[in-house]
Parts: sequence; C-alpha cells; structure tokens
Amino acid sequence: MFRVELVSDTSTATPGWSYAPTRGFDPTQAMAPTLGRKRGIRDAGKGGDISSRQANAIARHIAELDRENQRDVAIPAPVKQAREAGARGTRAKTTSNVRRILQSQKTFRNHLDDEEAAIASSSGGVAGMQGAGGASIVAAKGGRTTAAAVRRSATPASTAGVKRSAAVSGMITGTSTPARETMDVETDGDEEPARKPKLIKSEYDNDPLLRSYAPPVPSDRLMQRLLAEPPLSYNASRAKPLAAGRPGRHFCYSV
Amino acid sequence: MGTAKARAPPRTPATPTQPVETSRYLPDKTFIIDNGAYMIKAGYASDAPASDESVSACSSIPNALVKTRDNKIVIGAQLATVNDWNEAMFRRPVEKGYVVNWEAEREIWDQSFFDGKPTARNRNYHIADPEDTTLVLTEAPNALPILQRHADEMVMEEWGFGGYARCLGPTLNAWNEIHSLFGDPLSNTSGASILPADCLLVVDSGYSHTTVTPVYKGHALQRGIRRLDLGGKHLTNYLKEIVSMRQYNMLDESYIMNEVKEAVCYVSNDFAGDLEQAWKSGRKRQSGPEEGIVLDYVLPDPNANKKGFIRPHDPLLHAKKKKGAVSGLSAEVLSEDVLVLGNERFAVPELLFTPGDIGMKSAGIPDMILQSLSVLPTGLHSAFLANVLVVGGNALIPGFMERLETELRQIASAECVVRVRRAKDPVHSTWLGGTRLAANREELSKVSITRQEYQEYGSGWAVRRFAGLV
Repeated sequence: MFRVELVSDTSTATPGWSYAPTRGFDPTQAMAPTLGRKRGIRDAGKGGDISSRQANAIARHIAELDRENQRDVAIPAPVKQAREAGARGTRAKTTSNVRRILQSQKTFRNHLDDEEAAIASSSGGVAGMQGAGGASIVAAKGGRTTAAAVRRSATPASTAGVKRSAAVSGMITGTSTPARETMDVETDGDEEPARKPKLIKSEYDNDPLLRSYAPPVPSDRLMQRLLAEPPLSYNASRAKPLAAGRPGRHFCYSV
Repeated sequence: MGTAKARAPPRTPATPTQPVETSRYLPDKTFIIDNGAYMIKAGYASDAPASDESVSACSSIPNALVKTRDNKIVIGAQLATVNDWNEAMFRRPVEKGYVVNWEAEREIWDQSFFDGKPTARNRNYHIADPEDTTLVLTEAPNALPILQRHADEMVMEEWGFGGYARCLGPTLNAWNEIHSLFGDPLSNTSGASILPADCLLVVDSGYSHTTVTPVYKGHALQRGIRRLDLGGKHLTNYLKEIVSMRQYNMLDESYIMNEVKEAVCYVSNDFAGDLEQAWKSGRKRQSGPEEGIVLDYVLPDPNANKKGFIRPHDPLLHAKKKKGAVSGLSAEVLSEDVLVLGNERFAVPELLFTPGDIGMKSAGIPDMILQSLSVLPTGLHSAFLANVLVVGGNALIPGFMERLETELRQIASAECVVRVRRAKDPVHSTWLGGTRLAANREELSKVSITRQEYQEYGSGWAVRRFAGLV
C-alpha cells in the first residue's frame, strides 16, 4: 500500500515535482475501516463536519479567488533588443545564479511544496512547530495571573476599571524614554519588583477587590531571547481556525 | 558566488556617522523599494527626513505586466497610458507577498529604475549607478528561504547594489512618527536620532495577503506573526464572481471590477441589519432614486472615452430602458451598462473578518491579532493592544477601522485599552518608515550588507545574515 522513500537532503533539481514523505501512522487512515469504506474515504481527515467533496470544492474556490486572470494566459516579457548595449555595459555579466533564477518557472505552490518536503525530511516536521511549542511556555508563565485578573475585573467596581485602564495607558503612553531606562537598569538583576509596572497610587491599593493590577513587563533578557527567535515556517504562521467552533454562516445567493 | 568585477571604489566615507569599521563602505544614497504585489513603492530617502512631505519623493509603479485587448504588452509605469481596460490580462511577479517570478520582476524593475537616462520625470526613481546606492528592499514575513536567496542574488548579482538591506516590511512602520497618531505626548528627543516605537502591532492588509506583526523596538517578534492569505485581489475576484452570477459576465474584467470594488465596497458594522436593508430596498419598487445601500455602477465605455462612476439606484431604470426612446431617456443613458450593487457592497469585504463565509478555515483579522498575542508574554499584551497600526490598501475600505476596533474591543481582555489607528497614508507608510530607518545611519549599517561582503561570503551567508544568524 504505502511506499516510503527516504529523501536526500539535497534540493531537488527537477522542477515541478517533489517527494512528499509519509509521516508514519495516520489516525484517520487507521479509523477508516471501522467506519466503512465509503465514509472513510469521504471524511478522511477533513474535520468531520464536511465531506471531502465539499472540502475540495472550497479549496478549488479559494484557489480560484487567488488567480490573477480567469483564463490561463501567457504574457511573455518583451524581448529586449540586445539588452541595450549602453545601459548594460556598466553592469557585470549575467551570473549563473541569475540565469537560473530567471529561467525558473516555479510558482509559489511549487516552492512551498519543496519547502514542506525539506522540513519534513530534515527534522521530522519539528522546525515549523518549534516556535509554537516554546510559545506555550511563555504564555503559561503569565497565564495564571491573567486568569486571576479577569476574574477580579468581573467584580462590579466600575471606578476601579476606569482607574485601571487609565493607569495602563499611562504606562504605555509614557513613551520610550522611561520604559527604556527601567529596561536598562534591570538587565543584570532580574529581580521582580523592578519589573512591576508603575501604577498611579491610589487609596484603593490595599483593597484586594479594587487594587489595580497589571502583569509584569517581561525582562530584557526574555525580550532578547524572543527577538532572536528564527521565523516560523510559512504554514506555521498561517492563522488558525477559531477555537470556539462557531458554526459557519451560510447564505443562499439568490437574485 | 559573486561576479568577477573589480570591487567598489575604495572611497573614504566623508560623513562622520559612518560605522566604525572604516573598511566597510556603505553608500550614502539610499533607495527604498517596498515591493507590493499590486504597486511598487519606490524612491530615494531624503537627506532631511522626518517629515510627511517626503512621501512626495515616493513613486508608485504598478507591479504588473499587462496584456491589453489588442494584444499589446504594457509594463509597470506604462500602465498609465492604457485607456481601454476591457479584458486586460495581468501577470504579477509577486505571489502572496513574495517575489516568485524574477523574470517578470526584472522587466518591471529594469524599465522603471534602470533603463534610459535620468530625466526630470523619472529622477525620483531612476538609479543611475547601483554601485553607489544602498537598497532597502521590503519582504513579507515568513518568506521561504529559497525565495529570500533569489532576491539577494538578483539584487547583488544582476544589479550590483553597493549596499543592501532586506527588511520585513511591517517592521519599518515602527520607524514612523506614530505617537501623534495615537495622541500620545511627543517624546522630547527632537535632537536625537530617530528611533523606532517600542511596541507596535502592525496589521498589514494588502493586495495578496494580510499579516499581523508584533514589532518590538523596530524588530519583529517572529513567533507572533500571523498570516491570512486573503487580500484585495481575493475581494475583487469574489465581487467579480458574484456579479457574474447575478448580472453580467465580468470574469475577464479584473481591472474594472477592481475599480468597482474601490468605488462601492465598505465593511459593514451591522452585517445582519445591512443584509436586511439591502434585501428590502431591492424589493421596493419605488419611483425615483433613493438613499440606501443599493447603488448603480455605470460601467466605463472606452469607445466613448467615458470612465465608470456610481450613482443612486434607480429601480425603474430597467423598465424605462425597455420602453426605449419613448420614455424620454437620452441616447447616452440608453447605451450605458449598469451594474446594480446591493449586498455585494459589504458581503465582499466581510471576507477579511469572516473568512468562513467562503469556507476558509481561518480566523478573521481581529482573532488573528489575539492569536498573535497569545504566544507573547502577558505583560506585553496591553502595550500591543493599545498600539495597533493598520497599513495596506484595504485599510482604505470605509468602515474597516471601526469594525476592527469594535471587534477587537469585544474579544480583548477587559483590562486592556484597545486603540486601533490607520496610518496617515496606509499605502506609503511602510516606504516612509524605510526612509526614516535610512536616516539613522548607525541602525541602517547594522542591518545592511555591503557589496564587498557579498562578494566575499556569497548569498548563503547573506540569507543567514538577514535572518540574524551571523
């Protein structure tokens, strides 16, 4: 049934096709027999609520919306008369790199397929997810405190809400200079109090219900680490579907 | 590897702001290209930056090869000479924000920047001697390394620029003066060199794609960048499709439908209500034009040299036309073709906010912003939400900003202030940011490579260098 081939690390020299490695066990494939042959084929890995036919139709529609022209037309670049000897004279000769790039007729889709295959074969698909995985660590760091803050805000203390937002905006609008200073000061000492954002003092500060709260500003070291991260892969950067699972709207297009 | 040509003249830099390494020669003249899928925004950075007038130094050149109805091929800036846009076909070198086809892109660049002699008309964007010019080229985030390499090789080997910096487009916006835009007190650093904003969340919604980029002190927080593969092109095509299904076949009229889109489309702030209203007014058979959502768009007539325009909907026009000359309409009105646009006006841009409407499994722009923030430290959320800057052509769609701010306010944490602003000139904002980066010589030289370095280390090194790995 499956034929798995090992892909070498070198980039494929042939345009137009590439190996797409099968990454082992696929749960949807494994489920298929128990659901019956036909449904298994129709629903394989398509999120469940739509058939593969619908999914294909949607994918085709989106691809159609991505086109420049309705019909396929070839618009050749006009041939230059000997590349205007004068203008070209000052330039160096066309290098082999340039010639190769100019002759490449690959589309973005082709390049992306190559890239995906390369990522999958070199690191088992981890490269793209690296950022996402690390992300949860940082998010978790502040996650607990945010939840607490949200709960606190649910109390009917509207004045505090106003005060709090004013304080927050004050912190942000304090422009670059003060923020930068505090950042510089605490580069080596990573102690907590220095990173507490300075909120406007008020009489409610000791009241557990009305106290203003803002999450700590991340340390300079953390920011440096975040800035140094490599970019995500193209596919990892694409927006995810809504987690809430709101059902999509449907319209009947009638005139 | 590099060319066999002798290296750049070892001129000693005269300016005091040159980098410490005297051996490193980065040309003072800086040319900035914001290579959009629809328009190239290009021009020299002026010596006296930091003003909004410098936008006048920026030229917008259509990034396309066009084949007109009479089989003529027109390139870049020549598109201004085309009168008949019926059935015009486009070839665009940029896909999803990345230059994919350098054969076409070279034609456009050559014709725009390099060919011919400098004249009064093209002096703002003519590059006479690339060896003495530093090029700042923007790229869309999360580019494929192979495409980055292609760009570097073309810039350094085909044109041979003296200096070169490939930057993420959205990050350049942080260099603009954004404090006044958000109504913040101006920092008193007028004498000091230009610095980027601390925290800025850039929403860039252009022709081929939309991205959300958190920018921290002028650099992107890579893990937070999110992309939606929808842009102005998809909206135009969607409008084209709906209109073709309901009225005339406009499938070959990309250019005309793009104009229709720009003239009539808006983002609804009450989708259900507007849908209802459009439906009702479509059913009413009142006499005479009325105020409402439904509009008539009179299609352009190249033979009579007339451009397309909008006018209020006249429900009886069709009936009157049938009667012909008896109804007392002029021959001019009788000959014109009219598109009636009702819910198309807001159902089309709605895609940016609910991609699910065409079955796309992706969040809309407001949710993308939250997805972006969800991987960043909580302490930064308030700073980014309070500084959301929108750039790109779609920011000009009426109602876009209001809708984004409303939805973001609804889904963002209640503690945070949400401020969403449109850049003063959303189309040229990125380019303008580039000129301001260029004014900060020290920073520019940090992100640039020189011709000599490229020739010494090659394109693989250049890709690593721009990725910050070397």
